[in-house]
Amino acid sequence: MSATIRLQLTLNGVATSLDVRPGRRAIDVLRDDLGLTAAKESCGSGECGACSILVNGEVRLSCLMLAAQLDGKDVVTAEGLGTAAAPHPVQAAFAAHGAVQCGYCTPGMTVAAVDLLARQPDPDREQVRRALSGNLCRCTGYGKIVDAVLAAAKTMAEEKS
Amino acid sequence: MTGPDAVFPRADALAKAVGAERYSADVTPPGCLWAGVRRAGVAHALITGLDVAAARATPGVVAVLTRRDVPGTNRQGIVHKDQPVLCGERVRHRGDPVALVLAESREALALALSRIDAAFSPLPGVFEPAAALDRDAPYVHPEHPDGNLLAYGLVEKGDAPTALADCAVTVSGEYHTPMQDHVFLELPNGTARLTPAGVLDMVVSTQAPFRDRFEIAHALGLNPWTIRVRAPYLGGGFGGKDGATVQCLLALAALNAGGRWVKMVWDREETFLAGYKRHAAVMRVTLGADADGTLRALTGSLLFDAGPYAHLSGEIMALALEHAGGPYRIPHTRLEGSCAYTNNPVGGAFRGFGVLQSSFAIERLMDALATRLGRDPAGLRLQNALGRGEPNAIGVTPEPGAGAAECLTAVLAHPAWTERAAWKRQAPPFTRRGVGVTCMQNAMGYGRGLPDAAAAKLELTKQGTFRIYNSVPDMGQGNASAFVTMAAQALHQSPEAFALIQPDTRHCLPAGSSSASRTTFTFGNALLGACRAMEAKLRARAALALLCDDPARLILSPGLVTDPATGAAVPLARLGALLPRDDRLCVDQFVMAVVENPPDTGRQFKLGFPHRFYSHGACLCAVEVDELTGRVRLGRCVVSVACGRVLSLEGVTQQVQGAAAQGIGLALFEDPALENGCMGAGDLSRYLIPTALDLPDIDCLIVADDEPTGPLGLRGMGEVGIHGPGPAIAQALFDAAGLHVTRLPVTPEDLLSALGGPE
Amino acid sequence: MIGAVYCPTSLEALWPLLADGAHVLAGGTDLLVAKRGPASCAVALLEGIGELAGISEGDGLIRLGAMASHATLARHPLVRQHLAVLALALETLGSPPIRAMGTLGGNIATASPAGDTLPALLALNARLELASAKGRRVVPLADFLLGPGRTALAAGEIIAAVVVAPPAPAALQHFEKIGRRDALAIAVASLAAVIATDAAGTVTEARLAVGSLAPTARRLPAAEAALTGQRLNRESLTRAAAAIREAVSPMTDVRASAAYRRQAAGNLLLRLTPQP
Repeated sequence: MSATIRLQLTLNGVATSLDVRPGRRAIDVLRDDLGLTAAKESCGSGECGACSILVNGEVRLSCLMLAAQLDGKDVVTAEGLGTAAAPHPVQAAFAAHGAVQCGYCTPGMTVAAVDLLARQPDPDREQVRRALSGNLCRCTGYGKIVDAVLAAAKTMAEEKS
Repeated sequence: MTGPDAVFPRADALAKAVGAERYSADVTPPGCLWAGVRRAGVAHALITGLDVAAARATPGVVAVLTRRDVPGTNRQGIVHKDQPVLCGERVRHRGDPVALVLAESREALALALSRIDAAFSPLPGVFEPAAALDRDAPYVHPEHPDGNLLAYGLVEKGDAPTALADCAVTVSGEYHTPMQDHVFLELPNGTARLTPAGVLDMVVSTQAPFRDRFEIAHALGLNPWTIRVRAPYLGGGFGGKDGATVQCLLALAALNAGGRWVKMVWDREETFLAGYKRHAAVMRVTLGADADGTLRALTGSLLFDAGPYAHLSGEIMALALEHAGGPYRIPHTRLEGSCAYTNNPVGGAFRGFGVLQSSFAIERLMDALATRLGRDPAGLRLQNALGRGEPNAIGVTPEPGAGAAECLTAVLAHPAWTERAAWKRQAPPFTRRGVGVTCMQNAMGYGRGLPDAAAAKLELTKQGTFRIYNSVPDMGQGNASAFVTMAAQALHQSPEAFALIQPDTRHCLPAGSSSASRTTFTFGNALLGACRAMEAKLRARAALALLCDDPARLILSPGLVTDPATGAAVPLARLGALLPRDDRLCVDQFVMAVVENPPDTGRQFKLGFPHRFYSHGACLCAVEVDELTGRVRLGRCVVSVACGRVLSLEGVTQQVQGAAAQGIGLALFEDPALENGCMGAGDLSRYLIPTALDLPDIDCLIVADDEPTGPLGLRGMGEVGIHGPGPAIAQALFDAAGLHVTRLPVTPEDLLSALGGPE
Repeated sequence: MIGAVYCPTSLEALWPLLADGAHVLAGGTDLLVAKRGPASCAVALLEGIGELAGISEGDGLIRLGAMASHATLARHPLVRQHLAVLALALETLGSPPIRAMGTLGGNIATASPAGDTLPALLALNARLELASAKGRRVVPLADFLLGPGRTALAAGEIIAAVVVAPPAPAALQHFEKIGRRDALAIAVASLAAVIATDAAGTVTEARLAVGSLAPTARRLPAAEAALTGQRLNRESLTRAAAAIREAVSPMTDVRASAAYRRQAAGNLLLRLTPQP
């Protein structure tokens, strides 16, 4: 086992320093060490998207990232998007539009949706489906998730104007 | 009472959406140990050596346990106890566990597991259920009195062989449905420790916490009352957590952890390897009818691949036989079922179990009959749909309610059906389009032979709010939220006034598992009973404070009990503060009614046969076939459902869409590629479930219905929607490409062959 | 399992790490799946080496840095405008997060027979710029792919960039992948085509390449010859499709049979049949 290193990162908006073994997976550091359990592990091989986080504003799979790759980065997990008291419009829309069943894919889905809406604020259904195609859901059949993302896009556009 | 247009946002949705909900897998106590299992990797063998010395010597390893370390019977199983916790002499499928390791870290665990040296002497395996029943097949359980025949059943009504001989037309077929993996996203996992008081305290992703205690106690020789199981919200289950996953192994680990917390999480590949699956089935069936299409007789045999352990195979087969006639009027039936032990993965519960298999067979037969008679498949179904008060294929008259005809009629009015001709004509180059419609049904509840029971506890808190002690895990279907909605309506409070305690065998009252489309019906009825008791109590106690001699006239409103005669009111917060805890609790229980005069058939089935309540539906699938590649895309999907009154339109739609999505997966994508007991598709890059790009929007149509004995008039419907897509897609592919589908999943190769390739 | 992790910020700092046996980690989407087992290995991250990520144009060539992600490439104007066949292939690769993480160099170095960018790059006559402590060399992609997971990469050497001459603006660029689903699908078969025609519609140059139909992604010279000098019509495409089926050597696996792959491989070319 190699020694630990010190990582400096911005985590959900807070400057954070961590002493970790650099070869551990980012998801294990987030979940096991920091208790940030919104990112879930369901495959460990990049096939499901449940572990999605934002790194420097872009979607990343935290099961295929090493702790060392978090160094110097701006990292946002679903916890950093919003809270139950103050949810992100995407999170609120998922809850309001029936997009949540078991909810295990949901944090990853919301991260993918936020990533999409940052690049494409006014997507159509097909673009939403394409953007979420790396995030598996076994409960919903996806229709209500697409509804939720489109509703969030509308809310966000209204908030901007 | 609220009409079907009411939309209640789910109580659990926001906490899940913001990532705050703590699932079992999110519990990682600081300093916990990690437990994992070495699995056989061979399908059938004797264990000739097990050297764990190197694993034990690995730094960070706390214990390595083998069969010798298992107290108790070492046998788990829901009804039939035939599955070892750890195998000592023989392994019967590739996922069988032979050693259990406890380590200080994930890394030490992985290293130690790789250092276990297991030696096997291979035995001949049996991988085809039909071959398993041959007289000279190798036995999976040499001690089993019936060889590899795990279970057999016969259901009969009338005189089917004679009736069949008299039929103007008969059609026959052999139909295959595949093994299916649940692919719940939360992997099987749990956390456990032995407390100083000797309680085995467990948090598990499980559908059956109350039953788990007995299964663990039996396997490990423990007192079930010393086991506490908590079941937080599950990240999916679909039946795949209704039975042994980590429970016994984790309990064994905790017994050897010196009082420390132990966590076990199967990875995805291990879950494919060791988790149980939907049973693959082969069904040989014959349907006879008059020349005008009136059904006369159905005969056949259904064979299920049980894998090496019983799980609920016999009960699943019984359900298949019960549903084998579909929602149709068939006077004469004779159907046999068998479950064969094999060395394939373990067969077990999965949404719509048994029903999915036999539904495919009967719906395919109906299509074959329609083709033979030159009839429209929908018209033939309408002609034969079982009406209210008519006995089904096994002679049971289900509780009256909207049936297949109403459901089919709803779908036939949808533009996807009425405008299908134009849609097909507009197919782009290299594309053929087709449309299919089929019926579906699914019984609710456990059926006769065991109580489908739940007990509910409701507490008025000191603050004047309420706590619902939910006893039935919510694996995502939304039952917990439905309970809040029900209680809020019953007590005239806002949903925010209710907190939910998730299943915890220490604090909640016993209930059956989260399964069988029973959850909301059974626990809901128990909860409504507790609500009635609470309402009476609140009136009676408020009457004391309000000096009212007629408690019945008092009115509950959000946060208050009011006397309309005087206008005086007492806040619930005051009642909560005044009452001692015992007086703040109300409990009630409910047992689902069963068939009162069961027909004299299916005598082999002691548990779970027959059923009294059914939900129905119909499904339209419109497919596009690419002529160059044989790829099938589902263009449209419409599902109707009749399930009593609708408490939450959102909840019903969620269940219909999700169930249909799993049915579509089974029909078009999910091929386990089983060979010699090994799943070729043993990870998520090869076992393919639909992505967001692979499914159309699924339209859900609600058919007016009522179930007077249901809570607020509803009936269970979590499963029924899964049965439509397989047969509807099959019918649509015949329409599009002339392919006779007899086997799911349909592959591009099947279609390319059927199309003969463009030349 | 990953042990030591190195984060060099220059190629000079990278070479000694490779000499010590560190694995190169580009996007991680293949390597970190392969290295999940208990054996420990050291990795050197390439993400800190800025010069590997650039996308540029000069001397009539387009240079794609090996560390450019699939998503970056698929969005880049040079790729969209001049290398449509590659853009199409990139859009079918993996899923959005895989495309955001995975790199072009990684897809090439993995050398899967099913690597989605490979047929497109072969149809573009792509060349690879390989770098090591000893300097640089340029190798045609077709010579680089030796077998499943086997390449001409020498020890201590990395892919620095992919260099492509853009096809004539009027050339037809086409890519189609057959997967068993529409995202997160490993290719069952894929076909990339870059076809130039003259003013009369006669094919002056056809470059065809397939994936998942042989031990490596590969060009199809006989099928190319069958099209060259012909107009693109049902007859010429059918002949070329037959030549494709003749040339490929597919295998059977859980995704499809060899027979299906062979049939479908030819059919993929028929997609170009002009419609009335």
